[in-house]
Parts: sequence; C-alpha cells; structure tokens
Amino acid sequence: MLHDGHAMQRTRAFLTTITAAACALLPGPLFAETVRKPNEVVQQICIACHNPHTLQAGLNLQDFDAENPHENPVIAEKMIRKLRAGQMPPIEFPRNPDEINGLVNTLETNLDSAARERPRVGTRPFQRVNRAEYERLVDDLLGLTINAGDWLPEDQISASFDNIADVQTMSATLMSAYLTAASDIARMAVGWDEAPPLEITYSNPANFSQHEWERAEGAPYGTRGGISTLHNFPADGEYIFTMRFMSGWGEQFHDIDVSIDGERVALVKYGGDIDYQGLKDFPVQTPPVFIRAGEHRVVAAWIRQMDGPYEDLLRPNERSLTGTETSYGTTSPPNIMHLTIDGPHNAVGVSATPIRQRIFSCRPLSADEELPCATEIVSRLASQAYGRSLTDEQLAGLMHFYGLGAADGGFEMGIRASLEALLASPHFLFRMEQEPTRANPGDSYQLAGIDLARRLSFFLWGTHPDAELLKVAESGRLKRTRTLRGQAERMLADPRSIALSTRFASMWLHLQDLDALEPDEYWYPYYTRQLVEAMRQETVLFFDHLVREDASVLELYRANFSIMNERLATHYGIPGVHGDEFRKVEYPNDQRNGLFGHGSILALTSLGNRTSPVLRGKWVVEVLLGTPPPPPPPGIPDLEETAGAKDGEVLTTRRRMEMHRADPVCAACHKIMDPVGLALDNFDVTGRWRIRENSAPLDTRSTFYDGTEISTPSELSDALLKRPVPLVREFTANLMAYALGRRVEYYDKPAVRAIVAEAEKDDYRMSSLIMGVILSDQFRMKDVPEPAPEADITTADTAR
Amino acid sequence: MRYLTRKTIPRRTFLRGAGATIALPFLDAMLPALASAAAPKATRLVCIEEVHGLPGCNKWGEERFLFAPETTGHGYELVPENTLKVIEAWRDHFTIISNTDVRMAEPQAPSEVGADHFRSSAVFLTQSHPKQTQASDIHCGISLDQIHAHKYGQDTLLPSMQLGIEPTDKGGGCGYNYSCAYTDLISWASPTQPLPMIRNPRTAFDMLFGAGGSDEDRAQRRKLHSSILDWVMADVANMKSGLGAVDRQRIDRYLDSVREIERRIQLVESTNTSKGADRELPSAPAGVPDSFSEHMQLMFDLQVLAFENDMTRVVSFKTGRDASNRVLPESGSDRGFHPSSHHGDAEEGIMEFNKICKYRMNQMNYFLERLRDTVDGESDLLAQTLIIWGSPMGDANLHNHRRCPLVVFGGGNGIHAGGAHIKASDGTPMANAMLTLLDRLGHDLESFGDSTGRLSI
Repeated sequence: MLHDGHAMQRTRAFLTTITAAACALLPGPLFAETVRKPNEVVQQICIACHNPHTLQAGLNLQDFDAENPHENPVIAEKMIRKLRAGQMPPIEFPRNPDEINGLVNTLETNLDSAARERPRVGTRPFQRVNRAEYERLVDDLLGLTINAGDWLPEDQISASFDNIADVQTMSATLMSAYLTAASDIARMAVGWDEAPPLEITYSNPANFSQHEWERAEGAPYGTRGGISTLHNFPADGEYIFTMRFMSGWGEQFHDIDVSIDGERVALVKYGGDIDYQGLKDFPVQTPPVFIRAGEHRVVAAWIRQMDGPYEDLLRPNERSLTGTETSYGTTSPPNIMHLTIDGPHNAVGVSATPIRQRIFSCRPLSADEELPCATEIVSRLASQAYGRSLTDEQLAGLMHFYGLGAADGGFEMGIRASLEALLASPHFLFRMEQEPTRANPGDSYQLAGIDLARRLSFFLWGTHPDAELLKVAESGRLKRTRTLRGQAERMLADPRSIALSTRFASMWLHLQDLDALEPDEYWYPYYTRQLVEAMRQETVLFFDHLVREDASVLELYRANFSIMNERLATHYGIPGVHGDEFRKVEYPNDQRNGLFGHGSILALTSLGNRTSPVLRGKWVVEVLLGTPPPPPPPGIPDLEETAGAKDGEVLTTRRRMEMHRADPVCAACHKIMDPVGLALDNFDVTGRWRIRENSAPLDTRSTFYDGTEISTPSELSDALLKRPVPLVREFTANLMAYALGRRVEYYDKPAVRAIVAEAEKDDYRMSSLIMGVILSDQFRMKDVPEPAPEADITTADTAR
Repeated sequence: MRYLTRKTIPRRTFLRGAGATIALPFLDAMLPALASAAAPKATRLVCIEEVHGLPGCNKWGEERFLFAPETTGHGYELVPENTLKVIEAWRDHFTIISNTDVRMAEPQAPSEVGADHFRSSAVFLTQSHPKQTQASDIHCGISLDQIHAHKYGQDTLLPSMQLGIEPTDKGGGCGYNYSCAYTDLISWASPTQPLPMIRNPRTAFDMLFGAGGSDEDRAQRRKLHSSILDWVMADVANMKSGLGAVDRQRIDRYLDSVREIERRIQLVESTNTSKGADRELPSAPAGVPDSFSEHMQLMFDLQVLAFENDMTRVVSFKTGRDASNRVLPESGSDRGFHPSSHHGDAEEGIMEFNKICKYRMNQMNYFLERLRDTVDGESDLLAQTLIIWGSPMGDANLHNHRRCPLVVFGGGNGIHAGGAHIKASDGTPMANAMLTLLDRLGHDLESFGDSTGRLSI
C-alpha cells in the first residue's frame, strides 16, 4: 500500500524547507563593518533561505541582480513589498536598516527608471456588464429595482473585483440569461396587463429580529418586526398576501398590518387556536386587495402591543428567534418568516406608474403621432442605456423592433419590444473601446474620449457618464489633463461617487464574506440581521466619509471615529448615540482604530463559533499589505481539532493556536499573521469588546513581525503605521485594478509608486490617490498586445 | 431571499416545506414534440463532484473500511460507519471503485504546492493538469461530460447543463495565481473553455422550459429573441472593424453563443408546429433555498425533468466549493465543511467529518428514487442513466489526490450493472476508470487525461 506516495514525499520535502532551522546558516556575516551593497545583502542575507536548495517560498535569489532588477521584475516587486512592509528579513536575522533600505531603494530606482525607458500601460479585452452594474444601469434607466441574480450567472471574481475583464467569458448560458432578463425587465417596466398570476415569496432570515422594539423598513409606526420588501406589481388588479410564521408557544392574540407604501390595505388576525404554536406552514391570508401597478413597498408587520422593556427570562436575546424549530414552552413572540404575494387576479389594466411616466415621455393621440413619439422614446432610452449618443443606424435597428411589437399589439407593445432589444444589445451589455486603425502590436495609444469617459464614470459612479461628461468627451476635450481633472473633481464631489464605497471598498475589503458567516446562535444570540446590515453600512459610510472629507487614506488604519447608529454603538458599548440614523461618532477610548474597530471586518474574519487570529492576521497582510502568505501546507489539523481543553483547563483561542503552531513548519508564516490577529482578539466574533474567552482571561501579547511588542489594536495600528508606504501602495494598486478592470501587474508598479510618492506631499489624501490613478497613463492609454494564438491577452505573471 | 414561482391550482412537489410551490399552467406542444423528435435515446450522463474527498480515503479510515469495503466483488459488507451506508439500499445499482488516483491535481511545481483547493475541481472531469494562471490563458483539458455532449447532446435543446450549489463570490477571489475558473467550474468544452455553472434553480428552469407567463408569451419571446439575435449578428459584424485583435476574438466567442441560442430557438420552433396534447409541467422552482438539502433536491428535480423530456442528456453537478466553511446543521455537525475535512487524522475529527459526508451522500437517495420512479418507455430513468460520482481529493486533510472516491450509479442503458466493489491496483489513474466508462458510453478514444489503460469495471 502506497500510503506515502511520492507526491506526499515531495510535499514534505518542500515543507521542511520552510523550517527556520534550514535557514539558520548565513553565508555572510550578520553585520559588516561597512554598509554592504545591495547585491552583497542579497547574496549574504537573503540567500540564506532563498537559495536553490531550501527554496523558501519557492524563491531562489542566487542569480538575482539587484542592480538590474528589470531582468526579474516579478521577483523584484515581490521583494520590494516584503522589504517595505518590514516582513523581511525575519526578526531572527538582526539587520542593519541602512543596508535593507539601500537594497530596496536600489530595486525601486532601477525598476522605475527601466519603466521610464520602456513604458508599458497594459491592456485588456472589453468589459461586459456584471450583476452589480446591470442592477445599477436598469435602475438608472427605468427606476426599477431588480436583483440581477434572478437571471445572470455568478460573476467570476479575480484579484478581489467583479469587473476584471479577462475573466468575463462569453457563453450560451450568459447569452440566454441576458435575453430572458431583457424580456422580463421590459415587461416589468412597461407593465403587463396580461401578466399571468404569479406567487412570489419573500423570506426573512431567521436572525432578523422581530422584537417589540424592531420596526421593519418602511413599516408604519406602532408596528413591530414583520417583513418588508419592494415589489413590482405588473398590473392593476387584485393581489392576495399570505404570511407564514414561527413562534413560541401559546402566542395567539396578535394582529398583522399589511401596508402598501405605508398605507394599510389589510388587517388580519393571527392565531386563535389555544394550542397554536406558529408552525412554519400555517398560513394566514388577506382577502384579495386591489393594488395599482408599479413598484411599491410592501410591509406585513405586527401591531405593537407593548411599550417599554419586556422581560424574557427564558431567552433574553437580541434575536427574537433562535433555531429554526419552535418547541413547547419557548417564549419567542411570533415572527413572520415568509410573505407570498399572489396576483394579479382580475387585472383591469396598467395605470400610470413612475416607471411608465419615465418611459412614456410622450403620448400619441392619433395614429400619425405614434411613430414620432416612439422614435423620441426609443432614442432617449437607447442613448441613456448605451451611455452615448445614438447613430442613425442604431436607432433604425431599434425602431425595427418597435415596428415588430407595434404590429402585434400596438404602440406600447412596440415600445416594449424595442426596450427588450436594447437591453439585449451588445451596445448595452459590452463596453467596447476603439482601437486606432493604424495601431501595431507594441504601440500604445490614447483612449478615445468616449471610452475614457466611460472608464471614468464606471470607476467613480458605477454607471454611465452624465450629459456633461458626455459632452466634454464627444468634443474631444477630455483627453486634456486639465479637463479630465476638472471632470473627475466634479464627479467625485457628486453623491454618486458613493459607488467607490459600495463597489470598490466593499470588494477590496471582502465585505461580501459577511453573508457567509453564520455565528452560532447560542453563543452569539445578539448577532441579528439588523446588526449585520449596520456593520456593513458602517464600513461603507466610513469610507464614503473619508472620500467626502478628502481625508488621508491613513485614516482607514487609525481614525478615532466611525460612522454608526444607536444599534451599532450599543453593540460596541459606546453610550450617547440615539436613533437609527448613521452619524460620525468619536470612539471614547483607543480600543477601536479605523477599520480595526469595524464589526464587519472583525466578523468576516471569524468563524461561526470562535475568533480566528489567523484569519484576521491573514486579512491584514493580504488585503491591506498585499503580501499574502503561501498556501497553508496540507496535513495540518484544523484549529478545531486541537483539543479544546488540556489538563482540565478550557483553552482560549490563543492557547489552542499556540499548540496548533508548535510545529515549526507552520511557524514561518504564522509568526507574521498571528500576532496581528492576536492584537485584535479582544474583539469577539461579532466585534464586541471582551476581556475573557471561555472564562479565561485573554492574553493578546505577542511580537509583531518587525520585533515590536504589541498587545492591543492601537499598538497594532501604530506598528503598521510606522511604515505607511506599503499600506498606501496596496490601497492604490487595488484602486487601480478596479478602475482599469484588470489585475495590476509588475509593470504597473512604477506608476503606483509614482502616484503614492506624489500623494505623500498631500498627506495621502483620498483625492490625491484617486486623481493619481485617473491621470495615470494606465488609465488613459492602452497597449496594442502582440497577437496571442490561443489566449485573449498576453499574460503577465502577477507580481504577487 | 426572494422566491418567484408561477401560479397553479394543484400544489406539486417542486419546492417542499416553506415558501410557495406553483406550476406552469400548461405548456404548448413543445415537450412531447421534442421528446418524440429524438430518435433512439443516447445514454444520459450525470457527473457529480464532491470536493473534499471522503473520510475513508486516509489510512485510518481505510483500515476501518469507511469508503472501500474490506472485500471486493459482490459480497462486500458496508460497515455501519461507512459513508456509503446511507445509500446501501441501492447497492445493486452502484459500483464502488476504490484506489484510483487523480495525479493531475497534484502540484507539479513549487509554486503549486498547497494550492490544491484552487486547482482540483478543474481536474475531476478532465483528469488534466491546470495551467497556473489567473488570466484568460487558462488551460486544462476537455471534460468527460463534454466529450459525451459533443457526440450525443447536439440535437437536444441544451447540449449539456452545468449546475452548482455554492456561491462563488468569496472575497478576494481565488488564490495562489489560480483563476476562479479552475476552482468553480468542472465542465470544460475545450481545454480553454470552461462552462459556467448555474446555481439558481429558477434560471435553470427557465433555460429548459423558456421564461414567460403563457404559451403565447413564450412564443412571442422566441419570435422576438430570434429577430434580436439576427440583428445582433449583423450589428456586431459592423462593430468588429474598430476593435483590437483581442476584442475581435472575444466577439467571435460571443457570436458562437448567439448562434447556439438561435439553434435552440429554431429547435423549439421546428418541433412545435403540431399541437399535441397539452401537458402539465411540474411546478417551477423558486430561487435558491437556504437549506442545502432543499437546494440539492431542486437541482435533482431539474435533472429528472430535463431527462424526462429529453431536453438535455448531459449534466455536470458541483455539489460544493473547495475550502468552503459552510456549516450544514442538518448533518448533525456544527463544524464548517472545510475545517472539518482537516480532521488531523484523529478518530474524533474523522468521524465528525464523516457525519457531514454521510449527510451529503444521503442526498443521492432522493435523486436515485426520482430517477427510478420516472418511467420512460420500457424502463425507468435510473436504468437509462449513468451517474459518475466522485472527488478529485482523497484525503482532504493532506490535500492528497490518491485513492480518491469514485462511485458509478445507474444502468446507463445496460452498460453498467452495479452491486460490486472494484479495487484498482495501486497507482491506477482515475482516468482509466473514466476511459472505460467513455468506451461503454460509445466513445472511441485512445486515452483520456492521464490514463494509462483501462480499468475493468
């Protein structure tokens, strides 16, 4: 039996190289009498681990020439990041800072001058509309709120972002999804008096609290909990609302208020049977209610019965339900879990809706007026949907569909058909950029004005250019630096630039991972859906605040304030914040520092039943510093498998982690990640401050990778901010990747360094970095790639 | 969470439990017409990937027969702890193939060591080694399901279907310079063309049966879509001139997909001219349910529906995502799937992992039942379908790809008998077993992936 096959042996061989012992022998002296030259540093210090035999991190520096780093730019860039961050050389290797600085400065200077001699601005295929952009564009065009996930396949994420062009592949599945979406959305927008009756069910997550003090979004005052949703009613007609529940035992005297846009349309009684327990499938229904077409806020909520606090001795939790089953004797109030909207029945037509008013900007009063009016509507919608003015040919193409639809079912059907066509058009779905006809492989060229305008507006606003930007672009003036800067400043000041927070910052910081976390409901009964949403809002609004105030990007790592509402402040233990509105709140002490105090970040780097200093540390070095650890070696037991108790002592996460990484194989990387995460271990899974874990006092002391002793979040923040440059560079590189729709490669790094160096004079203000990206050649220009036989694009190894 | 379902009178089985369940009222003649249009039916193929191997694939588990039974041949015994115990009722319908290796998932360069989770899904059905890259120069191999679809799927509505369970939007993307295509996609139409998976059962339903509120609405949509596609073809031809070489290649891929949709519409239209007996469709699914087993059941229902109506003959189904920390409370374990797969070779950890694996394996009962209960012609779908269930990982604790689990279900129109445990000799590639199955499915290949020969099954 081949139980240790050769792959395993090979894996082991690689792993043993990572032990510190293998690197202990230095080929040169630790300290030399004079400051050594860069190549001497490499050959006498770095080579101790990064040689062809031990090959730590897969890196061999034997033939690396620090004076000519452009010969190995990928490796050189990786070295720069590790050296600038202070992660290399490891702390066991005493270092002469002058020598290390000399090395890294030489690398940068040489790479930057090589880049000046042979600039490369990169290229990528055209982008297609992804889910988030699709939702935004449909909202902008029609005022219709949709969930693109109802139609489109999942976007593929690359380098943190969902807009990276070269992984946006084409497929029949995608094409068919775009077509179905176009037809469905056109029907939703124009209204559909022949809509078949549909049942649409909305569900509450189990941790959506429905306590007495919780009011759902848009619910009338005097209600508690319930379910709230935006719903598109396709036609004027009758609709039936059905609620399903979960509840504690014996709850029976409750009333439910069903409202449309805040106005009650039905009041129904819940329960009645003395033994009634609110089983999942026991529905309560309204009679048919007449509702006009259009998008309305629908809320089914409980009539509030009590004021002030109530005592629940059995389950005194923030969550009004724990678990997904009810049982005899539990005391939860009834919770509405599902709301089904069934209709239309007896549809009588489609009356004016805001969406229809927006579409039908004119109304033909006679047959003669139909075509001119349709032309007006279609050309307006299409130029908005395409984000540019329409050619006659394009308009003619769309009007052909008007003709088809109108022949079948008259004017409105014609508009609907042309709307379907434009939503399925490649001009709407793809953002193609023109290449000059005489461009040859190896050339680079300035983007056409309209293409630059679209890059700019999707970067800052997540949507198409507005009329002003379009005008400037079409006049050709946008290529001028002054004009480009002026437009960018205008757009940055516009509220729409919140897209930088909702899109860029959210993805950069991995906020979507919050959705995957399900903290154990018995350990964390205060982790409600409302709290999660407040945490997400906090981070988005905090970033937006920094953009609006044009604060230093370093505030991300050190701010002594955040943006919160009462719920979040209470969760954090900060007094004096009242109400649901988010506002700037100063931290009362130094427990929280910038993002390191955000519940979102602390939760998304946790597991369901415990904190994970490893995940938190990994998040910091990977997301904030761009120095991800190599893959964890296989065969290492999960922390869970490390016994939870030893000699009768219930262990803290720290103790278990120490035992876990007693293996020197693990220590090499974990000594970088773990201290970072440990300094944050006073925050529990949900970001609440704690001083004990499993009833044992927490001990968060450890040694930061540069040798500094740290034990608190503020000491972590200080330790990181001793070296602001790698933090700002990583931020800028991410900003650039998102702005360009491609991964940032080694050849972009000189541009990143230049932007950051320039911004330093300005204390790294947000605008100086954002503007730096916009004014960079990478943003305004494109290379013509050498033709590649198989691939879409010449690939460069990423600098990571 | 939003469910969208269609209205009907009788409540059928599509979505169980909470939420709503509704059927399309009636469909036009499309279904029976399509079904009869297909001459003698090719064997249907389902390929199901499990991501983290099984507890029986390390030394401890192997010695206790948690996957491979102690004896080979027909009289084997499944010990109570065996992961397959939960489907023992079907033992006459499946063959356990133990001791095959997925070597192409192993690292081949220092930079690849440890990154198994980001690579191995691409290997399962291709048995080829993925090129380490994040860009569009991805390269792996053609997958087994696509070989079958290219030959036997071209005259059906969907040449093949790709279904998946887990969301793929993990923060940051995939790791260690591997494109997420390798991590999230298991079907490869060519070495450079992975096919997207559909996670939302409703999207899959609409692809099969067409979106729309009524027969008339569906017909109207088809007609309009057909014109839109013609228009797009002409329009794009004009656009191409101003684009760079890279973009022109991308446009060509786009046009391929446009032509494929045209083919589908024409197929429906051409088989839809005669009005057959109206036929009631089962209820439409309702979006992505929270519960793993509900989601699995919906996906299985869709496969049965598609087979029943001969709308596709080839399905690949990815039931998990590598390194997912998802907790499956219904399994009786409160640990995340991935953390629990790193069981540390300790009895307690392995048995905890087994709870999760048994729960996941248990889902097969529903599928096998549905297939068996669906009569098609002289026999049932279980007898007509071949199901390949397996994992590119063996012992996920070590990220090892040796002695991986593989189970073949169903009769496949007489090409597979079941009831036995076959143990391959040490070092046999899983590709050998797959090559044998490809032979039986009617393909004439000299080799597949890293195959070194054939495994007698």
